[in-house]
Amino acid sequence: MYKKYLTFALITILASVPLFLPNDESRFDEWSKSLLCPVCQGETIYDSPSEYADDMRSILQEQINNGMTDNDIYEFWVTRYGERIITNPIEKNYEIVLIPLFLVLIFIYVFLRKLYVKK
Amino acid sequence: MIYNLGILFSWLSFSVLIYLFFTKSKYRVHLLVRVNLFLQIFLFCLLEIGLFLNDFSVSYIANYSAVSTPPLYKFASLWGSLDGSILLWNLCLSIFMFLYLKYYKIENSNLDIKIFSFITIFFVGYTVFSSSPFAGCIELATIGCNKSTLIPFQNTLMSNLGRGPNPLLQNHPLMAIHPPMLYIGYVGMTLPFVAATSRLFKRDQSDDWIEVAEKTTYVPWLFLTIGITLGAAWSYEVLGWGGYWAWDPVENVSFIPWLLATAFLHSSKIQKSSKTLLNWNYILVGLMFLSTIFGTFVTRSGVLISVHAFSNGNIGTYLLIGLTIFSLLFIFIGSKNIEYFSESKKINNWFGKSGFFVLNNIILFSSALVVFIGTIFPLFYETIYDRQITIGRAYYDIIVGPMLLVLLCLMIFSIKLTVKNINLNSWFTENSNLLNLSLAIAIFLLINLNNNYFLIVTTAASIILILLTIKNMVKRIRITNTNKTYWTGQIAHLGIAVFALGIILNVTQSYSTEKEINSFQEFEFNNSSFFVYDSIEENKPEKTIIKLPISNEITTKYTSLNIFRNSSQQAISSPAVFRSLSNDIYITVKFIDEDSYKLIVRNNYGILIMWIGLFISSISFIPRLKKRV
Repeated sequence: MYKKYLTFALITILASVPLFLPNDESRFDEWSKSLLCPVCQGETIYDSPSEYADDMRSILQEQINNGMTDNDIYEFWVTRYGERIITNPIEKNYEIVLIPLFLVLIFIYVFLRKLYVKK
Repeated sequence: MIYNLGILFSWLSFSVLIYLFFTKSKYRVHLLVRVNLFLQIFLFCLLEIGLFLNDFSVSYIANYSAVSTPPLYKFASLWGSLDGSILLWNLCLSIFMFLYLKYYKIENSNLDIKIFSFITIFFVGYTVFSSSPFAGCIELATIGCNKSTLIPFQNTLMSNLGRGPNPLLQNHPLMAIHPPMLYIGYVGMTLPFVAATSRLFKRDQSDDWIEVAEKTTYVPWLFLTIGITLGAAWSYEVLGWGGYWAWDPVENVSFIPWLLATAFLHSSKIQKSSKTLLNWNYILVGLMFLSTIFGTFVTRSGVLISVHAFSNGNIGTYLLIGLTIFSLLFIFIGSKNIEYFSESKKINNWFGKSGFFVLNNIILFSSALVVFIGTIFPLFYETIYDRQITIGRAYYDIIVGPMLLVLLCLMIFSIKLTVKNINLNSWFTENSNLLNLSLAIAIFLLINLNNNYFLIVTTAASIILILLTIKNMVKRIRITNTNKTYWTGQIAHLGIAVFALGIILNVTQSYSTEKEINSFQEFEFNNSSFFVYDSIEENKPEKTIIKLPISNEITTKYTSLNIFRNSSQQAISSPAVFRSLSNDIYITVKFIDEDSYKLIVRNNYGILIMWIGLFISSISFIPRLKKRV
């Protein structure tokens, strides 16, 4: 029986780990992972080794050092390069996640209905 | 010469296939399948000979090979662009048709070979009517060839040096392995499709469709796994993209058939054991095949931009026609079997074997669906709202990530599944020691890391899965009567668990920084110091390499910039990777001037763990090699 308590205790410790050791991904990494390098066919500026991406990273680093807000950074890049520069358009367009989720739910419903047997 | 022979023999192969499609004689079927295989091998060799002889009167060779291209990359140039890769596609199809004939042919009907040859006719037809790698050059461009002809015996023009392959494709020997592996996997999805459709067409003749479909799916699944793994390794280790997976459209369309095939490999088992999911399995087999054609369409027709995209031309329309024809065939044969499908049994024990397999299928199929939607979403937005959007990592992280995590947790129970509902209480009693040990290991690992719940659950689940699987293997490996596919599954699951651990570490822990530095200076990163030497320039016929040696306390590695001649493309940078089990120090360089550099230094976690996991999954075929005792 004590084993169950041990498991329970371990799970509690695990679940509380993030409270003491929070995630601290830098804003720069977060942003550079979400900006598309416009000349590199589908890579973000975090991944791309190209000069262009490098210049963009420098600008981004400066923006973050200057303490620009996320919204300002967003506006800056979108006005210059258009919406496609943002590889993470979800925050401003929830439907991008909701449509596939909805379709998945329909699929699951149909799928299970076919298999379900009433007792 | 090469051009004339190539076009004539393509026609010959096309005619042989037409004859094969119509012939009734069993003897002729066997003969013609072999003749076609021979012709396709001949065509493959012919183009290779052309590449090595630098026969630039052939448009494809002039455009995608050059005099200075090293032999290995000349060899690989055959699949370096669209037309040549269709030739490889045809060769794979012909080999598979031969193997199918040899091992899986229906005894008393030629229907399966008819369907197979029909599909092959379609792809060989592309090289005959639309665009062929053997097309002769009739109008020169500044470098390479501008216009070509498919009609033999024309006066062709010869360019001087050839344009050479895309720099990305001549930077590493993996170019010679990764694409063919993927092609074998991709084209192999034809096998289960043919097996299922032909056997269901007249079911009274053969009722083993699910066995054959399952067996023939495993081979392409394995090659697809290896192909995708090698692609990820190439992108990370050599191209200096930093990433191994970018959710790029071409990567996605190789992942979709993989997900579907994985689903099918599971659901076919439950059809065999309990006669359920009959209709669903048929749908999966169809979608596996159709998704490969759709994937080729999406990425080769130029409708989507991607790192891998090449050449558009008219293949889009051609593939769409094919997609329609094959879909209709699939639906037609499906509708003939409505009665048979309705015999499919319903599920009673939702927490027993069948329930788990159903859940597995729901998750894998949903993931495929989500990846599919993510791939075509930008197209959809552009057509309907005239907005250009990019769907990046975040989309997949949010939706596919959690689904695959649930799958990982389900695998824990796959070790010992019973037909009846699982009894959690006794399961817990049986495994409590290992469970507690795993949780303790997880806590130990997670201290000092950037934490979030996603990381915690993944780490705990994968460690539990790893330990339980290993214990089970040690305990039961000697039991000879256990089904060999069971051990294949267990090894694959073990690999996935290791992989999951690696990928979650990588996604949550990695970070990067930039350093501006001069020659003979030292910098600190992640508690160790790195010394930068002076750069070295190396000239090769096809490229110039600028190397920068960097050493830590133990070893010296080079990060380099490869500048290719005859190419308008950007230079390719290769990383210096200092590897340990838990993390890689990954350095790429940008040269500012003579002796000052900008280094992008990343600390990438979990990469080696990921490779080990994928390697384990790739060797899951070993138990299948063993003959049943």
